[in-house]
Amino acid sequence: MEKKIKSRNEADTLNTAKKFVAEFTGGEVVALSGELGAGKTIFCKGLAQGLGYKKVITSPTFVLMKVYHPDHPVIKNFVHVDCYRVDSSDDLSGIGLGDYLKRNDTVVAIEWAEKVKDLLSQARKVYKVKIKSGKGDLERTIEIS
Amino acid sequence: MRILAIESSCDETAVSLLNITDGKLNIEKKVIASQASLHAQYGGVVPEVAARKHVEVIIPLLDKVAGKISVAEIDLIAVTEGPGLVTSLLVGIETAKTLAYIWQKPLIGVNHLSGHLYSPWLDNEHLDITRQDIFPAVSLIVSGGHTEILLLKDYGSYKILGRTRDDAAGEAFDKVAKLLDLGYPGGPEISKRAMNGDKKVLDFPRPMIDAKSYDFSFSGLKTAVRYHINEQPMLSEKDIDNICVSFQQAVVDVLTTKAERAVKEYGANSILLGGGVAANKELRKQLIITADRLNVEFHCPALEYTGDNATMIGLAGYIAYQTLSPVSRLKLEDNWRRLEPQPNLGL
Repeated sequence: MEKKIKSRNEADTLNTAKKFVAEFTGGEVVALSGELGAGKTIFCKGLAQGLGYKKVITSPTFVLMKVYHPDHPVIKNFVHVDCYRVDSSDDLSGIGLGDYLKRNDTVVAIEWAEKVKDLLSQARKVYKVKIKSGKGDLERTIEIS
Repeated sequence: MRILAIESSCDETAVSLLNITDGKLNIEKKVIASQASLHAQYGGVVPEVAARKHVEVIIPLLDKVAGKISVAEIDLIAVTEGPGLVTSLLVGIETAKTLAYIWQKPLIGVNHLSGHLYSPWLDNEHLDITRQDIFPAVSLIVSGGHTEILLLKDYGSYKILGRTRDDAAGEAFDKVAKLLDLGYPGGPEISKRAMNGDKKVLDFPRPMIDAKSYDFSFSGLKTAVRYHINEQPMLSEKDIDNICVSFQQAVVDVLTTKAERAVKEYGANSILLGGGVAANKELRKQLIITADRLNVEFHCPALEYTGDNATMIGLAGYIAYQTLSPVSRLKLEDNWRRLEPQPNLGL
């Protein structure tokens, strides 16, 4: 599956993620990349909402990883990871990410995933999501592969 | 009551000894080992490095604070249980559990944020824990990981009015500093550069400033700064100063406006500030002005208590202990069996 989606604004980015996650069955890892302010966290909010999580999810930059429990028939954990402050995948194994990567009842979203490429090989289904700036300030191109 | 307090939620290891008798708080000993310079080279805290450093320093720190006192003189052990990095939290918690088991002392897990909440009381001659006339108080807790506004009704009784919906205020400072290549941590550098800036040149958005809710959003502000930087062919030193002052002003405006509205809506008698961003001079200054205009008191922690420290954990542990029923207090006696880190703990 390879897709290129144009996003006009934040709401588009959110809805793209919601639609994208609707087909998930558990065990997926979403590896996000894009510069500061690209909309990675908004995309993750969309993933959480699409899985049925109703409350607000906030940036995990400080604690590196946050685990949410969405209201979904199969997917019980949504793990939101941020590698912004991380240099190597060892740091994430240390806080227990490895436990979540192989689980069928879990979806993991990793921001700044390019920093921890070796971790991704442990996962069964990895989607790469690249968010790039478009012409206008708010415009983005979302590439999913 | 004498409390031994331990904090290790992020990159500071800290141990304090407090004595609270008849509402009088006496900070007997306090030590902190900061890892800030260790992590600066990485541009942020590295969990494995942090955990190893905590392990290295915690015993010498404990020895400095409690090495010479007799165990019988300690009444309670307080330790941060979360939120924070799990690998860092574990070091403090396991140490506290071991001491509680060997010494047979009650052990209380403390929410790190409640530590920041009560930090204005530390070493403050105008504010002691017998005072009731400051309630209800509007409290802002602003740090790298948190931005919350609370209504404190009494000691141990609060309601969250709002929080950030995306990035914390301190995180926005760090990320804007990164966009401008100013180094880590970003807050102090941005406020330094802001002093030479002209706030009339640029105008960044104040996200959610007029929204009815007390929630915050700082992600969009960070992105607005990025757009502005991208539009410039090059940035002079003066441009960077101007970006810093306007960005800082946008954050300060949102925080003070919401605090002011909460004071009016809830008829509060004071404004309190806590957390790492409480070190920001402009924020302190504008909250003082706001409080003065509203004719309410303003209290913020002394600079040494804006960052993470164990003294605030000791005080928060004491206040939490006071609100417990006798049965719950009894349960603390063998809490060393149960206490676990809570990395995502909320207030």
